[in-house]
Amino acid sequence: MTATLACAGLSKRFGDVLAVQDVGFAIEPGEAYGLLGPNGAGKTTTISMLVGLLKPATGNVLVCGTDLAAEPMAAKAKIGYVPQEIALYPELTGRENLRFFGRLFGLPRRALAARIDEVLDLVGLSDRADGKLGAYSGGMKRRINIGAALLHRPEVLILDEPTVGVDPQSRKAILDGVERLVADGMALLYTSHYMEEVERVCDRVGIIDHGRIVAEGTRHELVAMVGSADTIELMLDGDVDGAFDKLQALEGVIEAVRTGTGSVRLLAEGGRYVLPAIIAAVDGRATVIAVEVIEPDLEATFLHLTGSKLRD
Amino acid sequence: MLRPLLSVAALELRTRTRDGTALVVALIVPIALATLFGFALGGDDPPLRATIGFVDLDRGEFSASVRREVMSSEQLKGMLTLRDLPSRQEAQRSLDSGDIGSAIVFPQGFTKSVGAGAGGQVAVLTSAESPLAGVVANAIVDRISSVVDARTLAVRASLAYGVPGDRVKELVERNGAAGPGLSLADDPMEGGKVDLSVYYGSGMAALFAFFVVGASFRSLLTERRQGTLDRMRAAPIPRWAPIAGKALVGFGLGVVSVCATWVSSSLIFGTSWGDPVAVFALLVAHVLAAAAITMLVASRAKTDAQADGITMVVSFVMAFFGGSLVPLYNLPGFLQKVALLTPNGWTSTGLVQLAGSGGGLTTVIVPIGVLCAIALAAGGLAAAGFRKGLLG
Repeated sequence: MTATLACAGLSKRFGDVLAVQDVGFAIEPGEAYGLLGPNGAGKTTTISMLVGLLKPATGNVLVCGTDLAAEPMAAKAKIGYVPQEIALYPELTGRENLRFFGRLFGLPRRALAARIDEVLDLVGLSDRADGKLGAYSGGMKRRINIGAALLHRPEVLILDEPTVGVDPQSRKAILDGVERLVADGMALLYTSHYMEEVERVCDRVGIIDHGRIVAEGTRHELVAMVGSADTIELMLDGDVDGAFDKLQALEGVIEAVRTGTGSVRLLAEGGRYVLPAIIAAVDGRATVIAVEVIEPDLEATFLHLTGSKLRD
Repeated sequence: MLRPLLSVAALELRTRTRDGTALVVALIVPIALATLFGFALGGDDPPLRATIGFVDLDRGEFSASVRREVMSSEQLKGMLTLRDLPSRQEAQRSLDSGDIGSAIVFPQGFTKSVGAGAGGQVAVLTSAESPLAGVVANAIVDRISSVVDARTLAVRASLAYGVPGDRVKELVERNGAAGPGLSLADDPMEGGKVDLSVYYGSGMAALFAFFVVGASFRSLLTERRQGTLDRMRAAPIPRWAPIAGKALVGFGLGVVSVCATWVSSSLIFGTSWGDPVAVFALLVAHVLAAAAITMLVASRAKTDAQADGITMVVSFVMAFFGGSLVPLYNLPGFLQKVALLTPNGWTSTGLVQLAGSGGGLTTVIVPIGVLCAIALAAGGLAAAGFRKGLLG
């Protein structure tokens, strides 16, 4: 089967900075793919190359088998791109915004009017369509922002942080809508700072860091990468160096990292059961003033692979 | 291909007309300023009246010829009065008391000296209170000087070839150095008959053309900031469509603005800017050049606010040095040359030629050509800038 969106060997350099390096993945019809990475990891640069805003230094992008570099018009016609910011005209109404972007995608006048009504219904804004966008709430703007990318019935929808700054009600409406579109066969590329959104919406996830895809797979596959080990975050007071040496040698501890002057991160099998041994090991050298046990999930995998939290 | 261009243009036009800036910048302000300047400073120059003192100590053919020519000149009739005065001292006294505006003094033996090939000097007395009379007297003496120089050269050449002294005069006059005659041909000062309302009307039209077209290119940077430019670029449209769509509207509004200022100036002051076809062609060429220059600014600016500031500075510099704020003939000589480095200078020069001479399209073919060349050069640089920046 031809992938709806496939890229391979993508790289991009800005001066001395290699922003994206050898990035590649493929998304099948009806599949939702999440791209996760900390700020500055190369997500937006990758997306900019996928939608034709930036020319990659190397690599290629295929949309339903059409090469984006060779046939940009045909390839772009199959992509629905929702940028991170509200890329709409505040002085126009919601309907006028949709009409303008629909025209850019070549929709005939009469068909466009009908399609705008459908999209407004889809994003739940039929009753507010003729109000000025500048008077909309953040969530309503986000919904029109997504609606503008759906008018031409794209084969693949690219959503870059679609729920930033929206209220829980609008977030739910957006996620429900996105899930319906994927269920109807649309391919989806999704980036978000909210891990729970990615876990809910995406079938597969690629983790990008320092411009490279460092891991890719289903949620289950990614979580399995860090094994069944738990992450234990410790805050210590006293002889932290001496305590750290003891912790490294402790049975059951797979990995120990100093994360600050008084903080240590441990990776340990059955973290909750090791806690008494940890406290006993540092006894006499340091005092445990705070402890947090993080069981393996996508967030923990992300933390393990990139060394930083998603919202850092 | 055409549809995305028209969609972008329609949106730009809608945005510009909805927020009212197009109406204010393109129509109200230039027309109001042109009208105010026209009423405050417009109208014809006051008629020239000058009395020139005439001190004839020579009493020879030369001075008589000058008096005869000046008195019979149709061009000077009613403008110039010659007043005979007995001496240079008397002329100076009359000048100081304001009885005369300037004086011409023929020294004793002037005709004889010129006839002998020794040349001669005619003195001009002028006063700061009557600059125009001084200009006229100097112009007359300039003509005398050229006749004297020619005559002196001819006499010297004859003597050098051994012609006897008593036959030189007859030989020289027979061979073309026609005596001590003086002719004053019609040669009106360029632009001298152009009403000042035309200057200020065309000046405001030329200045505001920059602001009108500049606003469209500025909005490209605003759209980049709000993300809509990238959204357009992600659509299946030609790369140039967003810029071309905005350029089309900016250019159209610019043409409407300059034409409205032209028509209003003509109607309010009852003056003509010249042949309508030629004026329209020249104004369109000016708007084209202004569009290309403001496009160049937008292609290099980092933000819309920066583009605004640069456009403002560029527009006023071009307007000042190009004669849009001060008529070119009021600028010093070197600034009149600097004016030709600006589109406003060529537009102003062209319009003065059209209004003053009554000529047609061929009269302004050079200014139009230069304006198109400026548009081509600035447009090329802007396109290269956009390719690297906004569309890179």
